[in-house]
Amino acid sequence: MKKIFIIAGIVIIVIAAILIYISKRPPEVVEIAFWTTETQSDRMKTIQLLMDTFQALNSDITVKLVPVDENDMPSQMAAASAAKNLPGLIEGSSELILAFGEEGIFDIKGATKMVKEIGKDRFYQGALKMVESPDPGNFYGLPYHGWVQGIWYRADWFDEAGLAPPNTWENILKAAKTFYKPEENQYGILIGTKAENYAEQCFTHFALSNGGAEFNSKGDLIFNSKEILETLEYYAELAKYNPPGPHTWRARDYYLQGKMAMFFYSTYIMDDLALAEVAAGSLTNENYSELKGSTFDPKLVDNTRIATTITKTRPGGYGSMVALGLVDQDNSAKNEAAQKLLSFLYEPSSYIIFLHMSPGGMNPMLRDIAGKPEYLNDPNGIFKRYGREKIEEITAGLDSMGSFTVVNGKTFPASGRIFAKQIIPRMIYKVTIDGMDPKDAIVWAEKQMKEVIGS
Amino acid sequence: MNKHAGLFNKMPISIEQRESRLGWKLIAPSLGVIGLLIIYPILYNIYLSFFDVKLTGEKFFIGLANYEKLLQDTAFYGSVLTTIIFLIGTVVGSTLIGLLVALLMNLQFPFRNVARAIILLPYFAPIISVVFGWQFIFDPVNGIYNHVMVEVLHVTDQRHNLIGDPHTALLVVIIFDIWRHFPISCLLIISKLQSINRDQYEAAAIDGCGPLGRFFHVTLPEIYFVLGTLVILRLIWNINKFEDVFLLAPNVQTLPIFTYYAAFTGIIDQGFAATISVVQFLFLSFLIYFYVKKVLKW
Repeated sequence: MKKIFIIAGIVIIVIAAILIYISKRPPEVVEIAFWTTETQSDRMKTIQLLMDTFQALNSDITVKLVPVDENDMPSQMAAASAAKNLPGLIEGSSELILAFGEEGIFDIKGATKMVKEIGKDRFYQGALKMVESPDPGNFYGLPYHGWVQGIWYRADWFDEAGLAPPNTWENILKAAKTFYKPEENQYGILIGTKAENYAEQCFTHFALSNGGAEFNSKGDLIFNSKEILETLEYYAELAKYNPPGPHTWRARDYYLQGKMAMFFYSTYIMDDLALAEVAAGSLTNENYSELKGSTFDPKLVDNTRIATTITKTRPGGYGSMVALGLVDQDNSAKNEAAQKLLSFLYEPSSYIIFLHMSPGGMNPMLRDIAGKPEYLNDPNGIFKRYGREKIEEITAGLDSMGSFTVVNGKTFPASGRIFAKQIIPRMIYKVTIDGMDPKDAIVWAEKQMKEVIGS
Repeated sequence: MNKHAGLFNKMPISIEQRESRLGWKLIAPSLGVIGLLIIYPILYNIYLSFFDVKLTGEKFFIGLANYEKLLQDTAFYGSVLTTIIFLIGTVVGSTLIGLLVALLMNLQFPFRNVARAIILLPYFAPIISVVFGWQFIFDPVNGIYNHVMVEVLHVTDQRHNLIGDPHTALLVVIIFDIWRHFPISCLLIISKLQSINRDQYEAAAIDGCGPLGRFFHVTLPEIYFVLGTLVILRLIWNINKFEDVFLLAPNVQTLPIFTYYAAFTGIIDQGFAATISVVQFLFLSFLIYFYVKKVLKW
């Protein structure tokens, strides 16, 4: 009997303690998650710092920072949707934002309201167009940062060989042939041949310079065209001067090691090229120090130039934009908290801290930020190393960058679904590695695209 | 019927019936867990395969459309063939090498325990570091394999990307899997080898059997069931193997990799993914049935 009283007493004390704890908790703390595609640990630290600052300013909101690889974002989102555990805010490529927008997971009203609050005219208009829903004036997300793609090349090698800069199809192929010396373990160019997004980014650059497109302005699929076939045939020819086997962006290390003449890359490479220690950190052959070309060349920045525009029938530029999307969490308090966080991320100080994680790689989507002295004064001095002129040249490219998604000012979100399904990368792999005929590969890709659009 | 009659009437029940009831009660929690974790997902998976599932969770019944789509896809048949080659190569390879190493490790020699521990390393090493190691070895520009082949031994004057080239990637993946998993085969075989009575070998030797004869007449019959079990386990593991293959060479499209590309790239097609899983499940069930009934004759 005594035991029963003791046990009952303990139970009452525990319950009372729990009740006191619950009653003393600060009321209504809203918890949201922010999914970022900046998965590298140093970037995570910076973003976490921003989140901590935000939480200090908004004690009623808790933000959980979750790193998600861009390629895993769709599967993670499906899992989160099934578990009713959606994030409040996500960061992803404009293609991904459009694809998710089409699936109806975004708070479009919230995003449109935020565009107005931040100032519609402050955004680069080309960028804003890339996240507009088919209903004009409504937005799936907000442009946050973007990069421009170009061919980075060894200007000293080009000068020595008397070659013109790689800004036309002809010049690129000629240079790739000239510098392709496999017997010396040296290669002409790096273009994507592995079935990953990088391949599509390289291919799109060429396709845009030849007038190739996925859709016409009426929204009809026109991928199976003369322009795309020419591009794919040219691409397959150029891929012969790649290092052996299928490759993705990681093979850029061969350039840093002095074993390659040209490579496609975004402006993200700027800090790697400029800072010897950063470059040394990205080399993958430090274990084989006896191999030639394994030391970092400090003159690499001076000897490297970029060609952002490629011309065949017209000048083509390519870039990619990363946007922020407000996910509809079916809870007004959570949706409002996510809007607050988004607003905070656009405040000049937090915005510049975010962009400085990769100077040159992450370019602002608000015009006024690009001209701010605080922005041009990055902690590693990268912008100073390249000079204001070169930086402005690159950011100017943001206004003219094209993509398959926007045709004559109209947005086709289906293009985002095609991108997410990696149809073009798989087509490129089939042609360059499996040896499939380009015509057959385009027919295959068209069939896949029709399935994706139809579904 | 008799056993459970006591459940429905007031008749006194026998000890046997009581024991039977107790038995059911004792296994009820396990049955519940198995039902929840195994039977329910399988049934739900079959159910999903008849639907088009949207990201928002909405489902639309589409009958056999997912199955038609799958069976009309030529890449699917290619991946079935790749899976069969992968299964035969890895199961036979890892079992044979496991057997050979186990026989060797069963002999008496100095530092035998150290040697046994060392051969287990490939199995225990984290997959991601092992895969990167192999990728470094076969890197076409900086890898040690090409360096040795081209610059040291001059076997060939061309550098090859063995992991990237679709003609050689499957072979590399098979060798990688054998290397990584032979230790577990070896471990299981050794444990059985140690329990074989030495008298049997002596008797066989008296009957005039040489080393080979002793192996075929004593060792093999003794470890037959261990080998059979190993093969079944390896079949089940390897047909579902994703990470080893995908991390090393994503261009080798075995069934799980095919499923990933077909259903999990882009917006997830859960209905189609469920369909492939059902087909994969049937394929595996058939393979095991055939193996158990026709090969092992259990």
